[in-house]
Order: sequence, then structure tokens, then C-alpha cells
Amino acid sequence: MVIVTLFVALLPSVIKNINRNYTDERLVKQKDKLLQIVKERGIKTYIEDGQSYGSYLPLKEEYISLDTVENNYRLDTIQDERRVIERDTISYRILSHTFKVNGKTYMLEIGKSVETISETTGPLQNIALAILLGMVLLTIMADLFYANYILRPLSLIIKTKLIGNKFPSFNKYKEVKTTTSDFQHLDISIHQMIEAIEQAFQKEREFISNASHELMTPISIMQSKIENMFEQEDIADELKVRMMEMQKILNRLKSITKTLLLISQIENEQFLKEDSILVSELLQDIYDEISIRLQDKNINFELIVTDDILLVNVNKFLLFNLLFNLVNNAIKYNKPDGAITLTARVEKGGYSISITDTGIGIDAAQLPYIFDRFKKIKQSLLQDSFGLGLPIVKSIAAFHGITINVTSQKDKGSTFTLLFPFNILKFL
Amino acid sequence: MNVLIIEDEKALAYEMELFLTKNNFICELCFNGKSASEKIAVNLYDFILLDLGLPDYDGLDLLKEAKKSHPETACIILTARAEVNDRITGLDLGADDYLPKPFSLLELQSRMQAITRRKFGLVNHIIELDGFLVNLTDRNIVYQTTPVTTITKKEFDLIAYMLLNKNRTLTRAQLSEHIWGSIVNDDYDSNFIDAHIKNIRKKLSVHATADWLETVRGLGYRIKATV
Repeated sequence: MVIVTLFVALLPSVIKNINRNYTDERLVKQKDKLLQIVKERGIKTYIEDGQSYGSYLPLKEEYISLDTVENNYRLDTIQDERRVIERDTISYRILSHTFKVNGKTYMLEIGKSVETISETTGPLQNIALAILLGMVLLTIMADLFYANYILRPLSLIIKTKLIGNKFPSFNKYKEVKTTTSDFQHLDISIHQMIEAIEQAFQKEREFISNASHELMTPISIMQSKIENMFEQEDIADELKVRMMEMQKILNRLKSITKTLLLISQIENEQFLKEDSILVSELLQDIYDEISIRLQDKNINFELIVTDDILLVNVNKFLLFNLLFNLVNNAIKYNKPDGAITLTARVEKGGYSISITDTGIGIDAAQLPYIFDRFKKIKQSLLQDSFGLGLPIVKSIAAFHGITINVTSQKDKGSTFTLLFPFNILKFL
Repeated sequence: MNVLIIEDEKALAYEMELFLTKNNFICELCFNGKSASEKIAVNLYDFILLDLGLPDYDGLDLLKEAKKSHPETACIILTARAEVNDRITGLDLGADDYLPKPFSLLELQSRMQAITRRKFGLVNHIIELDGFLVNLTDRNIVYQTTPVTTITKKEFDLIAYMLLNKNRTLTRAQLSEHIWGSIVNDDYDSNFIDAHIKNIRKKLSVHATADWLETVRGLGYRIKATV
């Protein structure tokens, strides 16, 4: 492209140059012809008695003049000069040449008006430019077409393998037809990488599922043993307190295992989405369940259902757990005499339920990590939790296609907004 | 009452047997599906506690067999498999309840009592506690002749659970497992039971002091009842 531009820019001067050289050549030829005539017929053909000779075409595009000059004057040039011919000042390209005949020096001038020269230059330049541009255009189009044709497998690979697939859900491998070995290699490599990732995901899910299942039985046995020990009449109270501590710790283990199992079940899509529930009803259930926890810190709870709708094709148990965990967090990380506001309303992109608290807030730096498993954020270390509350929330939301938005201000509080997609909404 | 425990995890089976025997059940144990299938065909049980994850048998098939030979037998499915569909299939096949592992033995017993009440139609199961009449069937409390209406569903659940286990100290962990067991969250030390008990006492004290609801220091709570 740079070369083409350079070429187009240089074109006028190049053409001009060529044209000038051509003119000069013609001038020299005319001079030679004239000298020939002088040689053959003598100078007298043109000049008699020291008079100068001059001749020009009616429109003064060309002229010839022959004159005597001083003896030792020498000149042989071609250059642009101005001449006045019958009151008209015209720029000419002039060949000047001195020669001697019979001991006298004569100067010959042949001129061709610059205007005529550029008159031919103009059209020439235009034609050249047009041809050049046409060729450039043709080349570009051919290039584009060819590149497109050659790279079609590549764009197909990108379109079907990279853009079409929503990570980490994958489709079956479909070969992209191509004879170029590089593209075949690329296609297969991408496919293999996706497969490897998929397998890793699958393995992780299976592992969590198997591990938590396997842990359930020993936990069950231990729990039963402790419970049976409580039944024993002859156990001292001091020992009972320690058994209770054990029971608490076992409960913690049980909770973690159950939560991991739940997440893996959600991710393996083992839950049905067949329930319908009114938002007002769901939120009331949450309140009934959780109101006892508000007492401790004397938290004010406000429930604003601006638009009530029916959620369809959802899992009630999971949605309950999602909201329970969010509200529970809003209580846990709240300040004494704080407030929690639940708002449910129709929005532009769907239906939203937002939970706003006046709690300790989340550091902006921590915000991207709050949904990671076992990620304990500094302030949450003060609380009795093991960092799986928000991962549950995230899994359940993803399972239902719900988007979560979090905004937070340190020491002011946080807002979690759930945006429900249209396909699970039924307006009343 | 006769109970057949089908559980391949022996340690767990023995603990269940120990607990239930102490609570006046007569227990038989099976560690695999084959012997269980034989026992089901021959004997009559009031309860079958069935672990779905047996090495040699599909637990759901055993359930079908049991229901076929003695439809009146109450079956409770115990499983660590916790496949969501298992629960639905199990209940469809006639199981009376479904208890995912790990479960509390107290919870198991309370489920068994609930089934007994339902199956054998004990009308008006009422327990009297110093003038408070707790009706476990209709789920209400009356003081002498005045109904105590302020008690919430959760609070009644707590009272009922403690009554089923009367004179037995229940730890906070056991109580919260009973009333919040199905909720999955990441608290492991919930002291909200205390708040519930406080509320219950306050609501009852309008009528009379409920001395029968005892705090066992450092351990938990207990309902003292002579009846």
C-alpha cells in the first residue's frame, strides 16, 4: 500500500519528466534537421545580409529563430525561458545552439511552449493514473477474494470452535474441511485442548461428587456413635461437653461435604426445574426462616415487592437456598442496628431482586474473588463460615441463568442484585 | 416394633441397632441385599430401614419386593447417594420417608414416630406439661383453655422435637440440624437456637412459667416430662 501511494504521488513528476525528455529529443532532432538544411543549402536560405530569421506558428506554440551573434559566443543548452513574441509573454522550452558558417557565428533557437507540453502531459498523467488505480483495485479485490478463499477454514474454525462454543460447555467435535495441513493441525489442536479442558472439568466434578459421597458414610457412623454415647447414663457432664464439641466439629465437616455435594449436583444438572413460585411467597418464606437471626444484632428488615411475578421452570429448593445464603450474609456482615432491604421489581433486562445491607462492605480488590470456593476474605475470617456460601449462590444462579451483580462500598455496605431472565418469568 | 435394618456399612448398622434397641424396637440386621431379600419374603416387619447403596443389589428393587410382600410395612430409605431423582423414585415406589446420610439417629427416630402416628392413626396425641396441652397431631398448644397462638411453625417444630425426645438433652447442633437441616449454608456454629428458645419462653410466660423447658448448662436443652 505504501508503495502504491508513493507511486501515485510520484506519477505526475515522472510523466512530466518523460514528456520533457521527449520534447527535448524532438527539439534536438529539429535542430539537426535545420543544421542539415543549412549545410546543404547554405545559411543564406534563412539569413541574408545580417538580418535575423524568425518563424512561428500562428498560435505561437513553436518558434524558430536564427540570428548572428558575436564570434566567440558559445551556447548549447535546453532550458525553460520566457520570450516576448508580439506582446505575448510565453514560457518556452528553448533549445539554444551556436554554430559557425563562413566564419560567422549564428545562434539557433527552437522553442516549444511549455503550455503545449503540459497539455499533453495532463491527459497522459490522467490515463496513467486511471490505469494504475484500476490495477491496484483489481489487485486488492483479487487479494481479498483469494485470501478469503484460502483462509475460509480458519474463519470457520474460529467461528465454530471458539466463538460458537460457550466456555465451558462444549459440543461434539466436528471436523472443519480443509486441505491445508496447518489448518488441519490447528483444528485438531484446538479440539484436543478443548477436550482436555472438558475432561479436567468432568474429572473435577466427578471427584467432588465421589469424595463427598464417600465422606458421608464415615461421618454418618461417627455421628451415630457420638449420639449413642450421649444416651449412656453414666457419662460425666464434663465428658458430655467435650462430646458436644466433637458433634459441633462433625457438623462442620458435614456442612462442608453437603455443600460441595450440592454444588457438584447442580453443576452436573441433577436438579429438576419444574417448580413455579410467586416471588412474594418465596421472599416471605425466606423472611420466616431467617427472621430469628435478625434479633441478635437488632437489624431492620424491609421487603419491597414492587412487581410480583411467578417464577416458572425453576427449582424452589435451590432458589430458596440462593436467597437464604445472600440474606444470611447480609445479616452476618451487618453492623448492630443495621438494615437490610430486599427489592423485587421488573427491570429493562428482566426481573430483579436486590439485597442491600448496611454492613462492612467488600474491598474493591477482593470483589472479583468473592465467588471462589474456600476463598476467605479477610473480614469474613471473623465470622463462622467456611467460604462456600457465595459459591452455592453462584452455582444456583448459573443453573437458572440468573446474572449476579455486586456493588459494594467499604464500611457502607453491599448490594447483590439478581437479574432473572425472561424465560423463567410469568407476568401476572 | 420390629425393624429390619438393611445396611452394608456394619459399623453404622450396629450403631442404629444399639440406638433403636434402647428405644424399645426389636432389630434385625442385614448387610447385603441377598439376605435382606430372603428376610423380607419370610418375615413381617413394622419398619424397614433401607440403604440404597448395596453392593450386590439395587436398593430400589428391594423396596419393590418389600412393598409387594407386605404393603403395610413402613419403609425409610437411607442413602449417601443423594441423587436427586432417587428420592422421587423411592417415594413413588412407596417408601414412607427418605433420609439422606449422614443423618442423626434422633432424626431417624422422630421420622419413625411420625410414620407410626400417621399409619396407626393415633388420634389427638396430646401431652400435658404443667397446664400446657401440646397437641402433636393438630400442631397447637393450649394453656388450660386458652390457645397459645403466638407460637410460630419453627418454634412448634422445636417443641415437638424436644417432646419426642423428652427427658433427653438435645444439643444445639442436634436441634439446628432438625429445623435447618435442609438448608445448605456456610454457617457451622449457629447459636440461633438460643434465640428461638428465648422467644418460646417469652411467649409461654404470658400464660405461665414453662419450667419444663430446661436449659442444660453447656450442653443444650431438654423438656422434662413425667407423662
